Amino acid sequence: MENAAEALSQTNFTRLDWAIVIIYPTISLVIGVLVRKYIRNMHDFVCAGHSLGTCLGIATLTGTELGLITVMYSAQKGFVGGFAAFHIALVACIATFMVGATGFLVYRLRAMKVMTIPEFYERRFGRKTRILGGLMMAFGGILNMGLFLKVGSMFIVGITGLSQESWALPAVMTFLLSLVLIYTVLGGMISVVIADYVQFVVLSFGLLLTTGLAIHNLGWNHIWTTIETTMGREGFDPTIAGGEFGVEYIVWMGFVGLASCALWPTAVARALSAESPQTVKKQYMWASVSFLIRFLIPYFWGICAFVFIMTQEPQLKELFFPAATGVEPFIDLYAMPIFLGRILPAGIIGIISAGMIAAFMSTNDSYLLCWSSVLTQDVIAPICNEKLSSKARVLLTRILIVVIGLYLLAWGWLYQGSLDIWDYMAVTGAIYFAGAFALLVGGLYWKRASSTGAVLALLGGTTALLGLGPVQQLVGISMPSARVSLFSVALTVVAMIAGSLLFPDKKKDRPEPAQTT
Amino acid sequence: MTFWIILWKITLIAGLTIFAFMAVWVTIGGYFDIKRLFARITESHRQEEP
Repeated sequence: MENAAEALSQTNFTRLDWAIVIIYPTISLVIGVLVRKYIRNMHDFVCAGHSLGTCLGIATLTGTELGLITVMYSAQKGFVGGFAAFHIALVACIATFMVGATGFLVYRLRAMKVMTIPEFYERRFGRKTRILGGLMMAFGGILNMGLFLKVGSMFIVGITGLSQESWALPAVMTFLLSLVLIYTVLGGMISVVIADYVQFVVLSFGLLLTTGLAIHNLGWNHIWTTIETTMGREGFDPTIAGGEFGVEYIVWMGFVGLASCALWPTAVARALSAESPQTVKKQYMWASVSFLIRFLIPYFWGICAFVFIMTQEPQLKELFFPAATGVEPFIDLYAMPIFLGRILPAGIIGIISAGMIAAFMSTNDSYLLCWSSVLTQDVIAPICNEKLSSKARVLLTRILIVVIGLYLLAWGWLYQGSLDIWDYMAVTGAIYFAGAFALLVGGLYWKRASSTGAVLALLGGTTALLGLGPVQQLVGISMPSARVSLFSVALTVVAMIAGSLLFPDKKKDRPEPAQTT
Repeated sequence: MTFWIILWKITLIAGLTIFAFMAVWVTIGGYFDIKRLFARITESHRQEEP
């Protein structure tokens, strides 16, 4: 046990690194305060005045989607699945590029000048659909980000060698949450895009540097041959049935790739903030590289952590892969940060950790802003018949940001379920995007799509909940989450088509699909 | 298995190379976009004032 504690506490993290880690977020806070003067109305707070250029759009899209949570769950997938996990990155890249090249969904949404997706629901299907869609989106989204705080904090605790200290995780969680709440509440979307830009700069160079150091430390050929000898074909081929992935899983990842760039509100929010629909297309085509990298590099780090533990650290190998039966393995999420804590030199660890904290902040501030503004704009304001003033909306959004933040803290402390984070996120995300897919495709491209079909499709999305392990246990079924989620998507499409054909809107109430060039 | 090893090696090397170039371009371009963003918002606030 003492050996285990000693192995986990070894790190190159020094006082210099602590100083970097503390100074960096402080600078971000100062920026948040400084840009506050630019916020005058809800338009500025949520959409940054529709003024994002291409480069800033790419930076902020990358900053939001390349969060610390992404790095952690991707490293976990690489650690467990080897190079075969790369397929998720590749399909995400292809899906994002195709969305950019064709403008699928995002171009027409931006052309309509809506602020949020539920606002589109109202224009196309009526107010009730907007309220229901907003609720579904917020429910799925808030559940989806439930583990962000805990997992992000696990990175900090792991890399600083504090993973054996019981006080460390709650303390880091509270500190990070306070930081994000102050920052987001103060500045809204304008401070969010500035934070995203700074994060992009720090993290993109940090990612490249760390990858280089990992290869230098372990050896390029050694990494590939170790995976070949330990994992065999399963470590490379994602199509093997009964392995970590399989064909069904790849199809599901293709849809998740499309959903995460063209349906997921935090990504779409960047498209809706762009200065023109043409900018959106360019933004997505370039961001496809980021969507590749945001998975690829962390997978590679996870693989390197696996190689490091298997070939260079017998104490850690015994912890993560105990030979004795009945011994619980250590949580694999800690493997990558512990690996980085060992191989990165002092000073560089501080910069990487600061970059990761920036990644954590930029993802969390975007998500907090997104779900709180959805609840304000798309649920509460329509219920109040749009009588809320712009100032009242900004205040309400800020209050909701704090409430959701407190939920994150509580959920992180209380959640004791499975920690396969990527699958948890894909399933909880599907509660929203399975229905949203049918509504957006139907609403934008099919004249006969009706409000009844839209409501049925939204409700159909709730079947994705069956993909969660605890829910499956509750109802007594056992099915891969990928299959359940694909079934949910198919169900919502069928519900939209059947509902629209059987219960069409009256002609005078039917808005035309969005026009495009 | 050789096919997959080659595919993932190409994906990793190509991805890292393109990303390195993009990082430099976005860093420089993003700075000018931020300046433009503040100028636009300031201008729109000025126009809104009575």
